[in-house]
Amino acid sequence: MSVNQGMATLSGDFLMAALLIYSLAVVAFAGDFAFGRPRRAAVRVAVPRRVAARTPVGAVIDGADGADGGPDSPVAGSPLISGRAPALAGAAPGDSLPAASVSAWRAIRQAGNWVQAGLAFSALGALAQLVAVIARGLAVGRAPWGNMYEFITALTCIAALFFLYVMIRYRVWALGVFVMGAVVIALGLAETLIYTAAGPLVPALQSYWLSIHVTAMTLATGIFFVAFVLGVLYLVAQGYHARVAAGKAAGGNGLIARIPSAEQLDKLTYRTVIFGFPVWTFGVIAGAIWADQAWGRYWGWDPVETWAFITWVLYACYLHARATAGWRGTRAHVIQLLGFASLAANMLVVQVFITGMHSYAGVG
Amino acid sequence: MTNVHEEATAQAEGTVQEQAAVQQEAAVQEEAATTTFAEDGPASPAAAGSARPAPARADWGWPRWAWRQLTSMRTALVLLFLLALGAIPGSLLPQEGQDPAGVQNYFASHPGLAPWLNHLGLFNTFAAPWFAAIYLLLFASLIGCVVPRTFRLAGAARTPPPRAPRNLGRLPHSASYSVALPPGEAVAIAAGMFGGKRFRLRRPAAGDTAHWLSAEKGYLREAGNLLFHLALLGVLASIAAGGLFGYKANKLLVEGSSFSDTVSALDVFHPGRLVTGSDLAPFSMTLQSFSASYYTTGESSGQPSSFDAKGVYSASPGGATKPFDLRINDPLNVDSTKVYLIGHGYAPQFTVTDASGTVVYDEATPFVPANTSNFLSDGVVKVPDAAPTQLGFIGVFTPTAFAANGVLQSAFPAADDPAVSLLAYEGNLGLNSGVPQSVYQLDTSAMSLVTQQPFLLRPGQSYTLPDGRGKITFAGYRQWVSLAVTYDPGQIPALVCGILALAGLLLSFLVRRRRVFVRATPAGAGSVVTVGGLARTDASGGFEDEFAELVAQLRAAHPAPEHADEAVLADAARPEPGMSPDTTLDKTETGA
Ligand code: HEM
Repeated sequence: MSVNQGMATLSGDFLMAALLIYSLAVVAFAGDFAFGRPRRAAVRVAVPRRVAARTPVGAVIDGADGADGGPDSPVAGSPLISGRAPALAGAAPGDSLPAASVSAWRAIRQAGNWVQAGLAFSALGALAQLVAVIARGLAVGRAPWGNMYEFITALTCIAALFFLYVMIRYRVWALGVFVMGAVVIALGLAETLIYTAAGPLVPALQSYWLSIHVTAMTLATGIFFVAFVLGVLYLVAQGYHARVAAGKAAGGNGLIARIPSAEQLDKLTYRTVIFGFPVWTFGVIAGAIWADQAWGRYWGWDPVETWAFITWVLYACYLHARATAGWRGTRAHVIQLLGFASLAANMLVVQVFITGMHSYAGVG
Repeated sequence: MTNVHEEATAQAEGTVQEQAAVQQEAAVQEEAATTTFAEDGPASPAAAGSARPAPARADWGWPRWAWRQLTSMRTALVLLFLLALGAIPGSLLPQEGQDPAGVQNYFASHPGLAPWLNHLGLFNTFAAPWFAAIYLLLFASLIGCVVPRTFRLAGAARTPPPRAPRNLGRLPHSASYSVALPPGEAVAIAAGMFGGKRFRLRRPAAGDTAHWLSAEKGYLREAGNLLFHLALLGVLASIAAGGLFGYKANKLLVEGSSFSDTVSALDVFHPGRLVTGSDLAPFSMTLQSFSASYYTTGESSGQPSSFDAKGVYSASPGGATKPFDLRINDPLNVDSTKVYLIGHGYAPQFTVTDASGTVVYDEATPFVPANTSNFLSDGVVKVPDAAPTQLGFIGVFTPTAFAANGVLQSAFPAADDPAVSLLAYEGNLGLNSGVPQSVYQLDTSAMSLVTQQPFLLRPGQSYTLPDGRGKITFAGYRQWVSLAVTYDPGQIPALVCGILALAGLLLSFLVRRRRVFVRATPAGAGSVVTVGGLARTDASGGFEDEFAELVAQLRAAHPAPEHADEAVLADAARPEPGMSPDTTLDKTETGA
């Protein structure tokens, strides 16, 4: 199995292009922050919901929300709303606005030039990266995630694609700068620090189950990567709201005001994690099958396996915490971030697919 | 959302204001703070009501309290967290099971600390009592919460959904429109539709004059969660079974030699607690040849491309022999016992004649690769039968020899130009001292150097020891493989349970437990139909879309009134609390 140098070069070129285009996307999303038209709630203080629901409309500290409830808002015009108890309507303004019910295309058109540019660059960058990953696979004649460099290249591609989906599905344009920024950093570090030339795999890694295993792990890592960024943003938003509620910070801070509310981030993070968790679980099972084929035991507490286990348990902890009294919110999110920290430690410190027992280990 | 939320919702049945209020996340927290998981039942109002344990009787008060603590969600969370935390030392410190030499080195380099760590079981973390305590408590907690939940689920599946709330407009999702049918017929059509979609239905009791319908679906979500947790128990049980009835062994086999699967023939044997020597599968095998190929060009030059061990085996003594072809990732399976190729190396062949001219040693001697990228290997030759004194040699084997600054090195892992370099000793090998010796090390404490300089031999060359002590010949080399022989009866059950756990997880995340209510009230010649919807669990989202779709289908099934403008047209979905304009998480399409 020899390396196709033409393809390898093509892959490298496309990856550099992707990196550049992603950077432009970050600039565009940042531009939206700086110059885009204000869109949503300046501050939505985390008033206990039961209280909020029973507070008259005006008392809900809802910042710019009101401005968004324009004349075409179904809330204002809906015959149904009139049937609602005023107490409930208190929670309603700003919650239901046109964007919630328009198609993705219209939502994008309404989002402004900066966001459109950011989305276009993100999509173009992801496309270029996809080409790079596929070309790498063709160059080496195997799944293009056989070493750490390839692994990070592939997982950031998945993170970018998955995030594009999340962003469009839930219209969370404001997250673009953070997630795409993180992708650019990860990809840039991979490119400069651990670049590995295209090459074949040692025999232990030439396994059908290994490809399945690493594919699942790559996917899950890409998804958890997005959840990680969302979780960090949650803590930022939550911390800010807590400070505003305590009167320690002024409402209406431009940057914070533009990211989604803590509740939204909480929900988004949860949905992202429950997408990643079964994929990770599957990846661990596939890895166990491979380990069994390669070494005669499906689980041996090898450091890499141990950390995959720790990561899995920590994400299970997070899912539990969300259902446990007193653990929702900040604490659950901290656990989620610990989960990603353990995943990153495994990837970068314990060195997954390069050395140790996880490559072909000779005796001695 | 959470069970807590479910329960609260279920109890609030009929009082819509309450129901709307508990939608709010903070309320969930408040509620949750006062309940433990053992109490917060899933699902149906009846179940939720009956789930609350009766006040503890005095005689059972304490154990009952302890059990409720153990099976509480908070304890489960803490134990899970401890499980993750407890696994960390197992990856940071060398472990007996994986790396015994590493443990010895650690003892040597940290003489003060190591005994303490050893006391805590940190060199065998995953078998340590405290680690076992964590997972056993966790699984006790799991049983304590899963079993009652199973019963409650069974109960819930037999209970009809609650009555439709009076004002459906206050539910998180609602819509209403006019139809040209009397209320009774409009609801009947709806019942037909939801029944056809396998919703569980509830209609007004006989004396009730109102026209309504409650429909509920998605019990599989709870079932999935239960399946997941039960399957985890299964995984643990399978691992335990493997530990009791399975075994692991290692064997180093040189080309041309044989071994049979008996305790004495194996180099390393780790039996399960309930395994005796007679439980071993009685197969035998002979290694005929081993080949390793390597990339020879480019950056990956020297990297192996394939390994292949060929030979014959027979499943029982005297049985028919069959060929085998062992490769990495491709074990040999003999009656559920598996043989894996896990390593390889070189075994230079030496012939030694002693002072009297007798051949006292003629063997292929396995050397251990010191460097797996060029297979420079170390080994020793012990010649206890040499006369007048015992002889010993410390050697280095290089498959592709070259001299780097006067030091023998290997340029490539394949045996393109093999050479050995040896140092000769004489004296007492110490084999009878009673202390077990490694075959890869020479105890030179009672020996003296025969040659001051190492001597180099190519295949076929000999070196004559000074003063008529004898002669050593490097005849050539063979290769050896190291094999792992394992039997693990828990393997397949563990895999099945793992897959079941995954299936349960997917069910739990993908299935949403939801209720849809329909009310029809007379209006003019026809009636006004109101539809309300409530997702009790909707982990991956999407109930909004489903609700819109259901309403659209229902409207299509209902004949519209003649004057279209009479229709009150409002398929509004009230988004989740905290959602704001363009960032609403749950995309909703207006059905109009
Ligand atoms: C081996 C230990 C455990 C692991 C790895 C584990 C893992 C998980 C995971 C991944 C979930 C999310 C999936 C789902 O919602 O179905 C979950 C949910 C849940 N677990 Fe566990 N669990 C464990 C032990 C326990 C114990 C001991 C309890 C009871 C005290 C428990 C009660 C629950 C409950 C009630 C949920 C549902 C939470 C919700 O509604 O969101 N689990 N568990």
